[in-house]
Amino acid sequence: MSLGKLIERLLQLVPVLLGVSLIVFVMMALTPGDPVQIMIGDQNITPEQEAELRRGLGLDRPIVERFFVFLGNALQGDFGQSFYHRRPVADVISERLPATIELSLVALIVALVTAIPLGVLAAIRKNSIFDKLATVGSLLGVSLPGFWFGILLIMLFAVQWHILPVSGRIGYSSEIETITGFLLIDTLLRGNLPAFWDAFKHIILPAVTLGLPMTAILMRVTRTSMLEVLRQDYVTFADAKGLSRRRVLFRHALKNALIPTVSVAAIETGSLLGGNMIVETVFGWPGLGRLVVESIFLRNYPLVQAAVLLYAVIYVLLNFFADILYTVLNPRVKL
Amino acid sequence: MTTLQRLLLASAMAIGPVATGAHAADLVVGFTLDADTLDPANHRKRETETIIRNLYDGLLTRDANMVVVPEIAESMTQVSPTVYDFKIRAGIKFHDGSLMTAEDVKFTLDRVTVEGAMEGQTSPRASLMGPVASVEVVGGDTVRITLKEPWPILPAMLPNQQIVSKAFVEANGSQGIATSENGTGPFRLVEWRKGESVILERFADYYGGATDIAPVGPACVDRVIFKIIPESASRVAALLAGDVHIINELPAFSMAQVNANAGTHVMTVNGTRSFFVAMNLEGEYFDDPRVRQAAAHAIDKNLLIDKILGGNAAPIDGILSPDAFGASELPSYGYDPEMAKKLLADAGFPNGIDIVMDTEGAFKDTAEAIASLLTKVGIRTTVAVGESAQLTAKWRVQGKAPKTGDMYFSSWGNGSLDPFDIFTPTHRTNDRGNSAGYANPAVDALLDAAATELDVAKRAGMYREAELLINADLPYLYLWVPQDIYGVSDRVTGWQPSADSRINLHDACLK
Repeated sequence: MSLGKLIERLLQLVPVLLGVSLIVFVMMALTPGDPVQIMIGDQNITPEQEAELRRGLGLDRPIVERFFVFLGNALQGDFGQSFYHRRPVADVISERLPATIELSLVALIVALVTAIPLGVLAAIRKNSIFDKLATVGSLLGVSLPGFWFGILLIMLFAVQWHILPVSGRIGYSSEIETITGFLLIDTLLRGNLPAFWDAFKHIILPAVTLGLPMTAILMRVTRTSMLEVLRQDYVTFADAKGLSRRRVLFRHALKNALIPTVSVAAIETGSLLGGNMIVETVFGWPGLGRLVVESIFLRNYPLVQAAVLLYAVIYVLLNFFADILYTVLNPRVKL
Repeated sequence: MTTLQRLLLASAMAIGPVATGAHAADLVVGFTLDADTLDPANHRKRETETIIRNLYDGLLTRDANMVVVPEIAESMTQVSPTVYDFKIRAGIKFHDGSLMTAEDVKFTLDRVTVEGAMEGQTSPRASLMGPVASVEVVGGDTVRITLKEPWPILPAMLPNQQIVSKAFVEANGSQGIATSENGTGPFRLVEWRKGESVILERFADYYGGATDIAPVGPACVDRVIFKIIPESASRVAALLAGDVHIINELPAFSMAQVNANAGTHVMTVNGTRSFFVAMNLEGEYFDDPRVRQAAAHAIDKNLLIDKILGGNAAPIDGILSPDAFGASELPSYGYDPEMAKKLLADAGFPNGIDIVMDTEGAFKDTAEAIASLLTKVGIRTTVAVGESAQLTAKWRVQGKAPKTGDMYFSSWGNGSLDPFDIFTPTHRTNDRGNSAGYANPAVDALLDAAATELDVAKRAGMYREAELLINADLPYLYLWVPQDIYGVSDRVTGWQPSADSRINLHDACLK
């Protein structure tokens, strides 16, 4: 891809982000619920004290003015103060974002590592018992609610067998010195293997829970595209040449069969970020998804606005990345 | 050894507890929500205060029975109806080793009460301090709070404010104190892993805490960890797995499981939150007192408490909890479906009425049980589940905005157990929590007078009189005050749940 194309794609981000800002701002403002009333909760308060609280949050100003102030500040990288944390929103989000990304990436790896072999196996043993089991399994994988599956894993692995921890990202006794914010990487970089192992044990159940629906989808995609590729003439030809079955499958067929799998995986990674909300709640994972949902309920406008913008950027970039991957894997396609 | 080899070795050692630096007595609390901030003056959440309360002490505190006792203050004297003196104990140290003085107390209270005192911002906790006119240091070791008008609940509200170090806040600013601390409490902050855990350790130089609450002295456990587990099923699992020692907000349906499990048990304490159904007096049906009485007679409170709340609630016939100041025995509208049908017919609805009851998702089951009882007598009730913020905007409107809707199943918390904080907002004409749209000048006059009445007996009498008036008018169906339910490991000793839902761990030990 040329540099010009790259810049063009990046420039496309600008109208997307402006549109998202406007939509989020208007939607939050139109949704019933007054942040000040929610904050006061069950307390007696004088109208003057309530007005002062409203002024302090900047909610006494007209909505149009608030939008342009938000936009002006956002352009300078200032997303305002979280109503509840009373600190810059950017700080609060950046504390929670690495946990979400780390969990999503591990879930993605779990999904790829299990889905591709299973999908290939289901394709080459089409209509076998294994294939049928895989079909039922993938149906279950997509339809099992993450909440239920997560609790089931906790009851088995933590409560019954005491193999894995119930919740959190790392044990409180493990020392953490962050470098990248990704604990699995940081603990390795510091050479702190017990802490790495601790973090690894903590991420298994949430990553499996989060990755399950994606595993199911990717397995189906791999199976279908593998079946399609196996019907191609060049595969028949390779077989006819007398190449070993293994060589035909892995050198000739799989490479092409993986193209749809990879692009679906890249796009689905965006939905992993969204799916995080439930998994983060069940496993007490200190990520952004949980924080954003809590903030929506509390009408913590600045935090929700900034987080949704961030999600939009990530989605756009992931789509962009999927496009690039596609051209790499399939040189016939040009962006 | 390469990193990979070490990694493999570690993997081989695999399944075993990771105990790098684990202390002998680490008490872990599985807790619903993380703190928003560690700044005692800059938040509005009970959960945040629970965590902060283990780092910071207040002028006054409450014991497990909600009795207000001196903590940092040695004594409290009411000089006049509007002037209170607090003599400050000598020798109390902040966590950085500096001595706490009356100046720190004045600084703390000014920071909360003076407009714009927090770097131009006003504390969101200002309203919890009432009509404070000034805070002065008198004679070196005494802090004098002067009020604009009498406000008898000042002592009951002071435990909500924790004393900060003036020097620390001036050096670190509001942003600094939001994520670090320098309190005088029994524990000091080791690390705050945001969204995951707050790790505290015992402060060896602790002055001992309130002299009226034994034991006095440094905390018993080495460390306290608030581990944030928002999902209740996961909190229960963490307790059963032995990962945590205390969990809050144990669902009633999990009580049997926790009690049956070896090594854990359930502890309860009377809560402070009153549950009720607001009937819209400005609406189509409930402007007629006979319809309201019919609804009251339709509800079998004891059945609901037994079946849905596992017996863990106290029925109420007015807004006040039986433990609140001024609470008294009131006439009860007993369960009498025939009487309910008759009252409904007398009101001109022999064929019944169709209404909608709003509630939050968390209370859907209970609301549906109430609805089925109402439906049985002809008040055919549909439950509409809404989101809390949206329902607040609909049902809790200050001023004269017309309300829509028929019924609202909701609750109001009363952490101070003083009627001022629950009776006034829910029953005074046009007040912000008056979801029923109730307006009775006689009740307003009593509530206003009681708010500033210093004679305890007279004040209690006024609330009694107001309770009798609302009991007759019946703007709400008063239901119950549930207990707070905790799951606790058998290893924990010395700890008692507190009615204000705070979890103070100074006295807790692990065996």
